[in-house]
Amino acid sequence: MLRRRELLAYLIGAGLAGTILVGPYVLRIIAGELFIPGHAVPVVPVVLLPILWGVWNLLWARRHPARLSIGVWGAVLGLAAATGINVYLLAAGVWFPAAALLIVFLPVVYWLLWRLVVGPLNEALGVEGKRT
Amino acid sequence: MPTLGLIRRGTPAPPPDLWTRFEAQMRERDEVVRVTLPAVGWGELAAVAALVAIVAVVPDPVGFLAASGMF
Repeated sequence: MLRRRELLAYLIGAGLAGTILVGPYVLRIIAGELFIPGHAVPVVPVVLLPILWGVWNLLWARRHPARLSIGVWGAVLGLAAATGINVYLLAAGVWFPAAALLIVFLPVVYWLLWRLVVGPLNEALGVEGKRT
Repeated sequence: MPTLGLIRRGTPAPPPDLWTRFEAQMRERDEVVRVTLPAVGWGELAAVAALVAIVAVVPDPVGFLAASGMF
């Protein structure tokens, strides 16, 4: 059964990741056209991010792992995303060596975002219940 | 009395106030949400510095950021 705060957690995660999609879907296109027209960039299925973030935050609300902070919880998702992106780039035949740095880069980005944005939103909207 | 006259003499329809009632209901249910941001310390600054350093050293920063899904 899905509890209210779990659904809310999903919506917070999905909403934030959906907002981040402004980067790849709007800013990149505008910046690309203005500053580096014709520059090909690897395309990864970022459209899945809202679902991933939503489910991950739902799991956080449901499980509340006592030993982990929400920042570390987000970093684990970042690590999984970075690994998935590398596998995807390999499978698509467009992998490049610098992509391996995503294994470090994304967990740090996600740590910051989950610690500074998702966590406070969870607190404010009552997602953070009693730890089990 | 013709039917039209009867209708005209009938009770007038109440003024349309659906939006007013809806707005009042929304205001009643609305509450102020206070978002408290955690203090930004050396850990966060070091993280940002590490991110900037990584983007600075990769040969194709745009492609790298695009692959990260953040840009």
